[in-house]
Amino acid sequence: MSGGRWPLWRRQAWAVARHEAGRSAGSRRVLPVLLLLAMPLTLAGLRALFLPASQRLDLGHSTADFAQMFALFQLRFVVFFACALLFTKLFRGEILERSLHYSLLAPLDRAVLVAGKYLGGVIAAWILLLPATALTFVLFHLPHGAAGMRQLLSATGAAHLAGYLAVVALASCAYGALFLLAGLYFGNPMVPALLFLGWEVATPFLPPALKALSFVHYLASLLPVPPSLGPLAVLARPIDPWLAGIALLVTTAVLLALAVRRARRLEVEYAAE
Amino acid sequence: MSADLITLRNVSKFYCEVLGVNRITLDLKPGLTGLVGPNGSGKSTLMHLLAGLLRPTRGEVSVLGIPPDDPERLLRVVGYCTQYDSFPSGATGLSFLRHALALHGAGSDEAERRSWELLEKVGLTEAGRRRIAGYSKGMRQRIKLAHALCHSPRVLVLDEPLNGLDPMGRTEMIELFRELAAGGRFVIVSSHILNEVDAICDAVVMIHGGSVVAEGQIRAVRGEITSQPIQVLVRCDRPRAIAAAAFTLAHVVEAKLLDDGASVLVRTRDADAFYASLTAIVLSTGAAVETVLPADESVDAVYGYLIGQPGAPT
Repeated sequence: MSGGRWPLWRRQAWAVARHEAGRSAGSRRVLPVLLLLAMPLTLAGLRALFLPASQRLDLGHSTADFAQMFALFQLRFVVFFACALLFTKLFRGEILERSLHYSLLAPLDRAVLVAGKYLGGVIAAWILLLPATALTFVLFHLPHGAAGMRQLLSATGAAHLAGYLAVVALASCAYGALFLLAGLYFGNPMVPALLFLGWEVATPFLPPALKALSFVHYLASLLPVPPSLGPLAVLARPIDPWLAGIALLVTTAVLLALAVRRARRLEVEYAAE
Repeated sequence: MSADLITLRNVSKFYCEVLGVNRITLDLKPGLTGLVGPNGSGKSTLMHLLAGLLRPTRGEVSVLGIPPDDPERLLRVVGYCTQYDSFPSGATGLSFLRHALALHGAGSDEAERRSWELLEKVGLTEAGRRRIAGYSKGMRQRIKLAHALCHSPRVLVLDEPLNGLDPMGRTEMIELFRELAAGGRFVIVSSHILNEVDAICDAVVMIHGGSVVAEGQIRAVRGEITSQPIQVLVRCDRPRAIAAAAFTLAHVVEAKLLDDGASVLVRTRDADAFYASLTAIVLSTGAAVETVLPADESVDAVYGYLIGQPGAPT
């Protein structure tokens, strides 16, 4: 790669990213994602309204509840499907609306195109998922009144929130790369997405060697409060958070490299879709 | 491969087992070139190959010396107006062009300015801020053309560009194509409406069943079809006398009076010899000749001869 082309590549990738982020987060495409995000928020809102008075005094209860809800629902379902909806459409959406040729008729290295689209997807995912996660976290602390607020604003509360947001951010990157690749390979990428969801959900019950093949295993290592996975879960040695983060980023890079390889061979044959 | 030509060498493209184009070898020069053939003949496949949207299964494609697997260089010199009547959802004419220019590396101010210039060029200034989904078919053709022109490419590939345009729009677009070709650009236009190509192109490439059946200037192509006598239409006040005189010439194989009673259609194996003899015939018969026209030098007729379906003289 010659140094002189970097500024142009950066400009082009940013132009693609801005365009994709706008389409993903600022058009009708966003509606199914908003519906997904409404689920944990509604759950947290209802919990805030109807939490028994006896439990309102116990802040630790809310911390544990949020950890459970985040690990079993928010991460495995909401973040997973939000990423599936956002990232599979980056290429597949254009193929279905028969407008991919406009992207392929631009004087772009296909690697720049993939990078731009991926970046756009990540921006959209962060814009949508991070505030929703933070709001859900706050709603879980609301029923505790002033004590809950103090907890939120304390170093521990802020560290917990930052930890959850980091997990969401990293999950968006990893799942995003996977679903972008799926959108390039599969006519209906939701089928492999559902299969992978099954794998992710089953992870706690898999032997340690197989756990290593799931994203959620690494993401769980980064959670500030480990959730209880029930008596049937197979215990495995926890992964060092730094190692888990690096493993996720390396996997993301590998998936993106595969996506670039596929994009370089991409042809426009809408009739075949 | 030449850096001044568009060349295809033994190019084949298969979609699984379905043939797209078969063993095409071509050298295209600057100017207006028509790609002619019915729907499904391989025109769009050939155009996709030139723009790098498809890769050949076999053979080599080179556009001004650039291979199609180098989109960064190729698409700086190629602009392609495809047959697809689809656009990114929610795009306005302005945002569509602005984004295309941004991908070419233009800054936001330059992209905005150039977009308005392009909209003006294709007559869509008023509709620039409207969504493309609400455009008429003709307006969508124009915005696609503006997209293809946005980076002033040396090679312009236009797939059925006149579809959906009203007569005024067609005239304007044809004028624009001629202007671009006159400036030394390669303008490659496909159409299944053969008269259209006849009217605008310097040279034609005729495709049938995925193969090139002829290429070059239409008159030269017609001249090479020696199996079919050339037809000349003579409109005059004494067609019967002209027919009788023409029939005495050795190279004339048929002289047919037409139903209008004022025309004779002469079929000859040597058109030049016939034209040379025509003055003497006219003088000897005393006929007043209104017009003398080649009747089967149109793309339509030549294409018909080449694929074995001779058309009626036009």
